[in-house]
This record gives sequence, C-alpha cells and structure tokens, in this order.
Amino acid sequence: MYCLQKTVTPPQKKYVKPSLGRTLGQNKALILMCLPAILFFFVFSYLPMPGAYIAFTNFQYNKGIFASPFVGLKNFEFLFISGQLGLLLRNTILYNIAFIVLGNVVQLAFAILLNEVGSKIYKKTAQSIMFLPYFISDVLVSLLVYNLINYDYGFISNLVRSLGGTMPKVYQDANAWPFIIVLVNLWKSTGYGTVVYFAAITGMDSSMMEAAQIDGANAWQRIRFITLPTLKPTVVILFLFAIGGILKGNFGLFYNLVGNNSMLFKTTDIIETYVYRSMMNSFNFSQSSAVGLFQSVVGFFIVLGANAFVKHLDPDYALF
Amino acid sequence: MKKIIAMLLAMAMLMCMLPAMADSAIDTSEHVKIVYLVTGDKPTNRTDEILGKINEILTEKINAELEFRWIEWTDWQTQYNLALATQSGDIDLIGTATDWLDAWPNCQKGAFLALSEDMLKTYAPKTWESVSEAHWDLCKYNGEIYLMPEDNYAQWTNHGFMYRQDWAREAGLENGVHSWADLAVYFQYVKDNKEDVIPWDANGNGSSYSPQMAGGWQVSHTGNIAIEGFPVPIFYGESKENPYTLSRYYLEGDELVNFAKEMKKWADAGYWRADVLNYTGDVAGEMEEGKTAAHQHHTQTWTGERTTMERKQPGSDLGFFWFGEEMNNLIALNITHGAMAVAAQSKHPERALMVYDLMRNDPEIYHLMQYGIEGEMYTVDENGLFSRPEGFEDSTDGVSFNFWWGRNDNLEYKNAQLDWDAIDALYAKYDEVKIDYPYGQYIYDNSMVGVFMDNLSNVYNTYMPRIVFGMNDDPEALVAEFRQALQDAGIEMVMTEIQNQLDAVYAK
Repeated sequence: MYCLQKTVTPPQKKYVKPSLGRTLGQNKALILMCLPAILFFFVFSYLPMPGAYIAFTNFQYNKGIFASPFVGLKNFEFLFISGQLGLLLRNTILYNIAFIVLGNVVQLAFAILLNEVGSKIYKKTAQSIMFLPYFISDVLVSLLVYNLINYDYGFISNLVRSLGGTMPKVYQDANAWPFIIVLVNLWKSTGYGTVVYFAAITGMDSSMMEAAQIDGANAWQRIRFITLPTLKPTVVILFLFAIGGILKGNFGLFYNLVGNNSMLFKTTDIIETYVYRSMMNSFNFSQSSAVGLFQSVVGFFIVLGANAFVKHLDPDYALF
Repeated sequence: MKKIIAMLLAMAMLMCMLPAMADSAIDTSEHVKIVYLVTGDKPTNRTDEILGKINEILTEKINAELEFRWIEWTDWQTQYNLALATQSGDIDLIGTATDWLDAWPNCQKGAFLALSEDMLKTYAPKTWESVSEAHWDLCKYNGEIYLMPEDNYAQWTNHGFMYRQDWAREAGLENGVHSWADLAVYFQYVKDNKEDVIPWDANGNGSSYSPQMAGGWQVSHTGNIAIEGFPVPIFYGESKENPYTLSRYYLEGDELVNFAKEMKKWADAGYWRADVLNYTGDVAGEMEEGKTAAHQHHTQTWTGERTTMERKQPGSDLGFFWFGEEMNNLIALNITHGAMAVAAQSKHPERALMVYDLMRNDPEIYHLMQYGIEGEMYTVDENGLFSRPEGFEDSTDGVSFNFWWGRNDNLEYKNAQLDWDAIDALYAKYDEVKIDYPYGQYIYDNSMVGVFMDNLSNVYNTYMPRIVFGMNDDPEALVAEFRQALQDAGIEMVMTEIQNQLDAVYAK
C-alpha cells in the first residue's frame, strides 16, 4: 500500500479555491437545511444590531433611534460611577462560573449514568422527569422556594421545628443564598443539559464500545477511555458558548428568588438586578442598552480569548 | 390684461378659502379605528359587548370606533412605557397620569402629541370648555398642552391603614385609630388576642410600600409635602408655609431615625411575618377572610373595601387611619392623577380627540362605559344612586373600561351600595384640612442629574425596605448608613439642581 501510494503521486497541481457560487451549488441541500437557522439569526440577531446605537443617544420616542441626539459615552457613566461595579461583576461572574462548571459536570454525570442504565422504560421516564423543572417559570420556582424555607410557615421550617431544631431565618441571611441559587439553577437546568450530552453519547460509534467490551474493559474503563474523550468536543463547544454570557445573569431567576429583599443583595445582586432597581422608575432605554452592550462586548472578547486558548491547546476543538 | 390678472387673483383667493371652508365642517368620511391604551387586565365580563354598543354610537356620530389595548397589571410599568416608546401609529389615545404613570417623563421623551388650542376647540369642544384655563396651565410642558386632565371628579387617593373598628374598640381605642401610636396598640391587641391573625400580613416583596410607609410616617410627623414626578420619592417641600424649599428630612434630623426604631419594634413584636420582604400574598383578600387585621392602601380603596368587609366580616366597621392625620397634613389630589393624552405617532389625532370628547361628555356613552346597560345591569333611584341587581358579579356581569382619565362628576352616579355616611364624614374632615397641590406648575427635568438619580434610586431601594419593615439589628446605624450612601451617590448635587429648578418656576 505504502509503496503504491508513493509511486502513483500525480504531478503537483496548483490548488484552486472553488468559487463561492460553486461551493454553494455543490452544497445546495445542506444550505437549504440551514436556511431556517440562518434566517432566524439574521432577523433576530443581525438586523437589530444597528439598534445598539441607541446606547449612544438620548432616545426620543418621536424621533426614533437614529434621529435622537448623540451623547457619546454618557450612558455608560452610570454603571461606573455607582461604586457597585466591582461587587456586581464579582457576583455575576462567580455565579456564572458555578453554573457553567457545576452544571456541566452534573449534566455529564447524569448523561453517562443514564446511558449505563439498561432499562429503556426507566431511561425515558427519568429523562422526562428530569426535564420537567426546565419548563417551570421562575415565578413559580420562587413561590416553591418561599413555601419551603420561609421562617414562619415554610415546610422545611415546620419540619425542623417539629424535630426539635431551630430554623435559621434564611431570608435574612445573605450567606445562604449562593448555595440556594446554585442549587435551584442546577435543579432547573440539569435535565435539559443531560439530554444534550445524552444525545452526543447516543451518536457515538457503537462498534468502539463493542470492541472495548470484547477486550474486557469494565464499565468504568469504558467511560474513562471512550465516552469521556468522545464527549470532549461537545463539552468544549458548550463551554465556549456559555462563556460568552459570563457577564450576563439570569434576571428572572435572581429577581424572583430575591426580589427587593435588600438584606440579601451583598451576595445576590447581579448586573441585571442592579440595573432594574436603578432604572425601574426612570425607564431609560439608552442607559439600559448601554449596560447590555457593555456586557455583550466584554463577552465577545472573552469568547475570542477562550477560543484562542482552546485553539492553542488543540486546534480541532476551537469554534473558529 | 388687468382683468385677467384680477380674475386670476380672485380665483387664487377663492382657492385659498376652499380648504378653510372644508375645515369648518369636520371631514369624517373615512371610517377610522381609534386604539385606546389603558392599564388593567383584559376584562372577562361584558366589556366587549358594551364596546360594540358604544362603537355603533361612535360610528353613527363621528364614523369612528374604539379598540382597547390593555396593559395588564403584570409588570405594568415596564409594559406601559415600552408601548409608548415603541408606538408606530398603533395607538391613538393614551390613559396617563403625572404621579403614577410617568406622564411628564414620557412627554419629555416625545411620547405625546402637543394639542393646540385650535385642535382642542375644534375636535374636543366640550372638554375644552369644561376645563378652566388655570387647569389647562397645569397640563402644559414648554408652553404646549399635552394632557386632558380628569379635573371634575372628586376622589381621594391619600394612603393610610384600613383597620377593624370592632377590634379597635375591644383594644380600648373607643374612637378608633388616629395615630401611629394607636395603630401600635391595635396591632399589639390583635397579636395578643386574635389567634392565627397576623396584625398586618404585608406583602413586602413589591417596591411600593417603601414610599408609602416612609412617606406616611413623614407626613404624620412633619409638615413636609411630597413633590411628584421624581424617580426616587425622597423630595419633599418643607411645609405649606414654605413649600418651595426642599426638606432635608432624609438627610438629617431625628424623625427618620424614630421611624426606623419604631418599625424595628413592630417587626420584633411580630406585626408582620419574618420573611415579609419575600412574601407576595393578597392582603385585602386575607383581611376579608379574617386572617389579617389591617390593609395599607388609599381612601378610594377603603370606600369600596368597607362595604365588602361588612359583607364578609359583619360588624367589622372598617375604619381608615390616614397618613398625615396627626398633623392635619393633607394635600388634595393633583388634577393630573388621571389624564388622557394623544399618541405622538397617532394617524388620526383629530378623530381621537373627538372620541375622547364623547367618552367624557356624552351621557349615553359615559353611562354605558361606566355602568353598562341601564335596567339590565344597573338601576338608578330618585336620589341619583345606582344599584346593581341581585347576584351581580363585577368580574362576569360588569363592564370595565378603566376610564380613569376623564371621569366626570356631572355624569357620575353614586354607588348606592357604598356607605356614604361614613365616606362623607371622612371627606368632610379632609375638606377641612386639605390644601391644593402646590407644585402643579413644576415638571422635573431629569437631563442634568439623571445619572445620579439612578444611583439614588438604587440606594433608596436597597435601604428603605429594610427600614420600613425593621429588618435590621440597629435601626440608628442603618439610617446613618443609608444617609451616607445617599451622600456618596450625590444627593447634595441633585438637591441643589432640583432647588434651582423649583426656584426657576416659583421664585417671585
């Protein structure tokens, strides 16, 4: 084989990059299948982009975005002169790191465990039940949490008291909330993420598994040396996607769980809730857009950085 | 040649007059739909049916019809402002208010159409005539009229506590609750003697209690007068003798500290639940079920609640302790507590005005809109009091136009089911002590200190709920911390700016 290849190497032909039209023509079916997604992102992500200009204006309703007076970076001032930015950044980023790292680890673990389960019925049922919390609105989640842990009448409080213990006043203790919020977020998102990983596992080449089994690899070894390495690209891609939003908090979750309870702000205030509290009365579009733009731009550079880092480690895993 | 020129000139003059002549008879040949933006949940009662009837009349009279655009109560402030900001000719009439619906900030951002006197005279003649010149002046921004005020409707929306007079008498308060000290006695009595009743089961999750409670204590212990229209409710005039000097209540002095201490006592005594700041219950509903003994809201709410309570808790004799009672400090309602505006992008502003003029002044339309079909949905007795038929439920049988932007006492019927003896007695007391809102001419301009205002808003919303509900270990220290945070956020600069703005309007 080796010899043959060597001898039959054709004379060096200059590589010509196929024209765009030709590429498109060759991949008609693929492009057609992508079209809905392309349209979606075009309409909802690219078309509105010029509107980000609103962050640099003093927006007037009757003039529209582009005719409103230009004010430069004035709308960005408020976030920086507040003196809160450090705390907000710390909370937002730490929560997101906890969500991303813990979330992915737990999801991965559940997906692998599910895959090892033999019973199909159990697999399906477990998946569905795990998925359910994802659909429960944050408003309801907050009510559930309140009715579990509120001091006077909460379910857990009553349980603790009936067992002779003393229930701490959780809604007055800022230190308890990072755990509660991370836990609630895990409860909500694990089912969804598990399905993604589970799908990736199902898509694996089964012949590898069979070969390993014949070679006498036990379950743990199969997971360690086949499943995990196969999932690596998926993990890296999901991580890169997630990290772009590291400055963005889940407003619905935080606002509903904490509300206006300022005793908890020290550990629960994120950029979104702060912006809401500062601007719920003044309703300033330009300023809130400025904050959003700030988050997006920083997120963009973080993605670029992370992607470059991944590329440096292993070019195959990078997004672009 | 001269003749021809003369003829041409004459013709030109005639041509010029043609449109003027057409103007005098309003052109309503095109059938238009006027969209009315209103706050409230989409009704499930007979509103649509009544709207159909009203639209028949409107079509006949001015060839127009009315359509609702509801801003539901969920997240209403955001939804409302968003609808105004994103308007594209899809709304025509906008129900608004200078105190609770940001009319002036929206006006400054260009949400409303300026209404010239000619327009008002031509298309809303009855409204134009019924509103006095002094009242129109209160609807002007930069010399132009933007709002049509609800200035012929008697109501009181000053806040206070509703409480059960039967229990107050048991508590030894023979004449009822007339001070914060009385209120504490009442709450303590309920706490000690009524099992399973929370004295005041406040749902402190929202942001409205902070200004209501803090402001309530303030007007009950000082002569301060609240100035409306600020994103942060900490700007008060000194007193009725000296209204145009800003009060420094939130920056120095003992009253705020006293308030914080008293509320801390109340919290420790268990007058509300420990997790009040995250509780989201329905206080009025709980009071009707006998599970709580008080409800903090305004006079207008009390007038209806008193009747409801008499039905659900017979003998409760619901009383009202109004904030400011100790000092006789009471401000009459600003006439722009409700007002109608025309959307800046409206395609049919003239017809919108015509529709509003009829809604506000045409007896047939007004009565349909406010009460429904006479004989079937209500009857009016010889004293001009209206009653609902037996078993009438507002949520299914009533009509809800939520027309709070031009109610008209000339056309209103009093509700026979309300306890007018009690209401009139309270109103008489109010009339004795009230003064007119002194700041009607003043519109706050946010452009100079807006950035600082946003930070003040954050400071206020961070500290005030903890002060109001006594969620702290040391009230004195918390107030000191709050005051320091206000300073750090630039309160002095903002106060100076507002004082300058006030002086520009009122300094003689």
